[in-house]
Amino acid sequence: MQSLTTHSNFRRSILVLASLVFIASLGAFSAQEKTRPMIAVIPKGTTHEFWKTVHAGALKGASESGVDILWKGPAREDDRDDQIKVVESSVSRKVQGIVIAPLDEQALVPSLKEAATAKIPVVVFDSGIKWDGRSSFVATDNRRGGMLAAEELGRILAGKGKVVMMRYVEGSASTTLREDGFLSTMKEKFPTIQIVSSDQYGGATVDSAYRVAENLLNRFADLDGLYAPNESTTYACMKALTDLKRGDKVHLVGFDASEKLVAGLRAGSIDALVVQNPFRMGELAVTTMAKVIRGESVPKDVDTGCTLVTRTNIDEPAIRTVLEPPIAQWLKK
Amino acid sequence: MSTPNSLSGWARWNSTFKRLLGPSAALCVVILFFSLVAPESFCTTQNARTLSAQSVVVVLGAIGMTFVVVGGGIDLSIGSVIALSSVASALVVRAGFSSVTAALIGCAVGLMVGCVNGFLVASARLPAFIATLGTMGIARGVAKWLANQSTIYPPEDWTSSLMAKNPDPVWLLLAPGVWITIVIALAFGFVLSRTVFGAWVTSIGSNESAARLCGVPVVRVRWTTYALCGLLAGVAGVLQFHRLSGGDPTTANGKELEVIAAVVIGGAALSGGFGTVGGSIVGAILMASLSNGCNLVDWNSLGRWGVSTEMAQTLSSWFGSSGIPNYVQEILVGVVIVIAALADRRRHR
Repeated sequence: MQSLTTHSNFRRSILVLASLVFIASLGAFSAQEKTRPMIAVIPKGTTHEFWKTVHAGALKGASESGVDILWKGPAREDDRDDQIKVVESSVSRKVQGIVIAPLDEQALVPSLKEAATAKIPVVVFDSGIKWDGRSSFVATDNRRGGMLAAEELGRILAGKGKVVMMRYVEGSASTTLREDGFLSTMKEKFPTIQIVSSDQYGGATVDSAYRVAENLLNRFADLDGLYAPNESTTYACMKALTDLKRGDKVHLVGFDASEKLVAGLRAGSIDALVVQNPFRMGELAVTTMAKVIRGESVPKDVDTGCTLVTRTNIDEPAIRTVLEPPIAQWLKK
Repeated sequence: MSTPNSLSGWARWNSTFKRLLGPSAALCVVILFFSLVAPESFCTTQNARTLSAQSVVVVLGAIGMTFVVVGGGIDLSIGSVIALSSVASALVVRAGFSSVTAALIGCAVGLMVGCVNGFLVASARLPAFIATLGTMGIARGVAKWLANQSTIYPPEDWTSSLMAKNPDPVWLLLAPGVWITIVIALAFGFVLSRTVFGAWVTSIGSNESAARLCGVPVVRVRWTTYALCGLLAGVAGVLQFHRLSGGDPTTANGKELEVIAAVVIGGAALSGGFGTVGGSIVGAILMASLSNGCNLVDWNSLGRWGVSTEMAQTLSSWFGSSGIPNYVQEILVGVVIVIAALADRRRHR
């Protein structure tokens, strides 16, 4: 008898729940008006300093162009499948535009195509994608960044000496461009500078890059210049130079900024850093999307710019805003 | 613990219903909640398609895991097997074979790892936790090795249709991969609850020595549970490959924990002897709905339910305007797991 009661209780509760769900779904179809367009901004992750800076810039861009943004990264940092889920839910939400830094140049294509089918424009930023349906690509011109570094190192060495270029990892598109840009400018503008090594990969971790840097410095005892294409390799080179006490002889030009690298620049261990502008990248990505929504034409590629930071210009206001963007002003929490 | 075949038909149904009541009610509450706070986006056919496509990998894993868990074991290698199978299918497609061949090979790879697990646990009598911890590492490593540590992309002209959310014959309504999963779920649910093999699995999970005395071929049955779990992980890997349109050796990292959570939320006892395929699927869909819904919440739409604008703004300022942040989502899933385990404990008292 008791089991019968439980069973009917169960059926009753299912009925109640089902009817509640039905009522709720009725509500789903009542129209709602929105004044400002809603744009989904999807980074590769949310905890890194780089993405927080992009977030602050995106908020600035949103307030400038009168749109609202939804900042949503993949639940698991750097997980392609989770980023696809975020794109899908943005389509479900019927946002007016999707701004995305794709974790993968192919895996995200099908879900972005679905967004395009649903008439949601897509602006890609930071990293490229193998799909020409995007409205615009907003990113650092990495090749130009490498060229800036080569010009500075050539100037410091006055056009002569032996230089080593460390590479980052195989198949990393952005750093390969920074390496190519460096090499081509070196060859064109400073033919008397001898590039003694340009085929050693530092690897993804500081640890591996540090070992490669030590080996390179030991191999070339009369080295004059060193170039590293990203944050981890620059830090590894700086550390190896300091540890082997070669810092005053070898000039180091690096890429990206972090607290440690800026401190190294001030202390003289680093001669110059080429710095990207993630704040401006977030801002430009959102303002470009706002233009797309308003029906204005936008360029297929938008360069967010690289800046050369040296000991002499580090305290100029323009450089300060690149190194220390007004994050706190835009990210209230 | 009672085995299903010792109960009459009605009592058996009733006991299953009671077990399913908790998880189903929880799922209804979650769906209801998101229907209220994200009315325009959660309750739509497009989102139903999306949600079903997002759930298949965990659902397939959970079906296989239910067999292993009911039989008193555990399989930690699922996530790695999904990655290995997706890499294997991608390599086969890239080598110029058809998608069907690739899918079969992906499934076969899963089955193979499942058989290795079965051998280690059932025949070599290693603790399941340790044995599958080992194969978890091995499968992940082999996947990275085969893929040369990067993602394997099939040729440009290859199109993935298995996980297309708007399938080509429109009458399919859901992605073909979702239909495959539904068929597998029905078949495996039938096997666990209606066949002698299912009863054997339950019996070795609830009391292995009694099962052996009754003549149950314990080693063979246990072997089969791991093999089935591996096979389903292989199927999940093939679908993951179609979803990502590439074989990614780092995919599904930590998926095994999500799968185990789905099985536990679905009312299965981790000590073995009880669990239903239906419950585990409800558990998997519950977790998928939580993460999907958290992305869709729009506090400002609460106005229609009589919530004041100030209240909506307060909620926005707490959680941000971008719905419910990821960390809240992780906390919620953790809370649901703890509640499910507590409910299980109460039933056993």
